[in-house]
Amino acid sequence: MMWKEKYRVGVGLIDSQHIELFSRLSNFIQIVQNENDWDEKLDEVKETMAFMQEYVVFHFDDEEKYMEQIDYPHIELHKKIHKDFKDSINDYVNLLQEGGFTEDKIQELGAKLMTWLIMHVGKMDQQIGEYVKEKGGQA
Amino acid sequence: MKAEYINSFYSATQDVFKLMLDLDVERGKLDVVEGLISSKEANVILGVTGDLKGSILFSFTKSMTLEMVKIMAGMEMNEIDNFVSSALGEVANIVGGNAITNLTEYNYTCDIVPPQVIIGEYRSLSMANEKALVISMNTDIGEFSVSIFLTEK
Repeated sequence: MMWKEKYRVGVGLIDSQHIELFSRLSNFIQIVQNENDWDEKLDEVKETMAFMQEYVVFHFDDEEKYMEQIDYPHIELHKKIHKDFKDSINDYVNLLQEGGFTEDKIQELGAKLMTWLIMHVGKMDQQIGEYVKEKGGQA
Repeated sequence: MKAEYINSFYSATQDVFKLMLDLDVERGKLDVVEGLISSKEANVILGVTGDLKGSILFSFTKSMTLEMVKIMAGMEMNEIDNFVSSALGEVANIVGGNAITNLTEYNYTCDIVPPQVIIGEYRSLSMANEKALVISMNTDIGEFSVSIFLTEK
């Protein structure tokens, strides 16, 4: 289980999507890391990767809408960081499509996604919850 | 070697290890060595440019590396494959990024070059005559070291 309770922001919708995101990434990494033959599992790898890519966009959109609703003061920076992340993932996927989906490159992508997500949810997103609490709202 | 460099890297390591790995980091002994050398199995080099120039070397044992990635991924890791080494490189990269931010408080403006992960013993010959400072750090899952080799412009 990759998700930890300390990653909870305190906003129901955001937390449930984060849990889903961690679960999808965990599933992706499990498939990448299992002992099966690479050629055999490549289709599954591509499928879960596409699934996750889509979910990231869906979640970022919802989180950004929520930040607008609550007049979150750091929304522009947060949106920029989301955009930079989406761009870097797209660049990666393009590279993979051009150069081939090798096991090494997919493992590298899995590691980058994992560390980014832990840092982003564990640190940056927590500030949204802190803001809501400060404003006296139930987070 | 100034205390500011050591403090910047030590506190960045503490913050990132707590956040990403739920680990408390305590500082152990300090050593001065010639060049950047590691006998541990997993090493990450970060280049530093700007007001300070040089390299930072993070050195971990194989068992600690596997345990660190297990804590993040929530699953057993059996060998240092590209997933494990990339994750280790990213953690060091994030520590480096935070350390660079800490250094701005002492008026040093620097950048870091993307990490290079080296599996196996590491020995840099290019700076054989220079001195590096090695900070040993202890955690519940093992001991690792951060070697700092920086010179002011």
